[in-house]
Amino acid sequence: MNQTNSLPVNPPANYETSAWKWMRYSAFLLIPLVWGHIILQDVVVGVHAIGNDPLGYVAQRWASYGWRIYDALLLGFAFAHGVNGLRQVAQDVIHKPVARKILNWGLFFFWLVITLVGAVALIAGVRQMP
Amino acid sequence: MKITFKVLRFHPERDEKPHFDSWDLEVEPTDRVLDLLEQVRGFYDGSLAFRRSCAHGVCGSDAMRINGRNRLACKVLVRDLDSNTITVEPLLGLRVLKDLIVDMDPFFKAYRSVKPYLIHTSPPVADGRERLQSPEQRERFDDTTKCILCAACTTSCPAYWSNGDYVGPAAIVNAHRFIFDSRDQGAAERLRILNEQTGVWRCRTVFNCTEACPRDIKITQAIAEVKRAILTGKLD
Repeated sequence: MNQTNSLPVNPPANYETSAWKWMRYSAFLLIPLVWGHIILQDVVVGVHAIGNDPLGYVAQRWASYGWRIYDALLLGFAFAHGVNGLRQVAQDVIHKPVARKILNWGLFFFWLVITLVGAVALIAGVRQMP
Repeated sequence: MKITFKVLRFHPERDEKPHFDSWDLEVEPTDRVLDLLEQVRGFYDGSLAFRRSCAHGVCGSDAMRINGRNRLACKVLVRDLDSNTITVEPLLGLRVLKDLIVDMDPFFKAYRSVKPYLIHTSPPVADGRERLQSPEQRERFDDTTKCILCAACTTSCPAYWSNGDYVGPAAIVNAHRFIFDSRDQGAAERLRILNEQTGVWRCRTVFNCTEACPRDIKITQAIAEVKRAILTGKLD
């Protein structure tokens, strides 16, 4: 019986493959991050408790570097997931290769700047008022 | 029973844009939509243009939008539509040439781009007979052999509507048919083509194609199998 299809079939990975994989990997990482966030905010602490003293709650969160890093990761992965989705949708209506390249790099820098600003704010924290 | 039969008409030499014509018809619940089109063309308006050939759901000529869904006019009965108004429009995403006839060239160009034929570079088997495969090997791609190239799937895909460069579900189905054929040696080349920007990654698993297929091919699953083959390099 011929079984000729066992030849190597791996096409080289390209930008599209990486972007597709990234969408899946970031989604997997988002599952514990988002659920952890929801359970903490809505179940463990509760929105009413947060509402009574929102600044105190934020100060409590920022007191721990662990939570700061957690929030920075949540921001980075959720935003990357969303921006990559936006890139996919935009490619449906933007057909010129040059315009697509501009879109890809533009969205990448958009993600990078927002994530960096957010991460700096979250991890570096705020200067305490005297 | 009486029904109102509406058809989106377009005459390239007379009309600036498409318009609906409608007829009140006396029909049987067991009539097919194709019968209604024939009734209109035969008795009311001989200029109505549509494609048809076998009229038995095999040739794939008469795919069109019937009450908003892509179907074969020869396979849909009036009673299946459960409505006193039947609206027929040409397929979306392809240029309308006249009435229900669309330009299928881009569709077949995409089909040809995935090399939908057996590629085998080694010489024929010694006894000169066919290249054999087991029933299990044949079963692997059985579903995608059923495609009749009617374009109902490709023209139901929102990604294809907005980007005609996307090869579309039908081309991927026909690539799948050969990629997973144990006798074929062109899988790597086809996967390389489908890994391009216009290939399988444009699919966003909307499932419109699976719903539109008159042959009940599990198209979204076939596309997912091609994606997996690209990522893993395995054809299991």
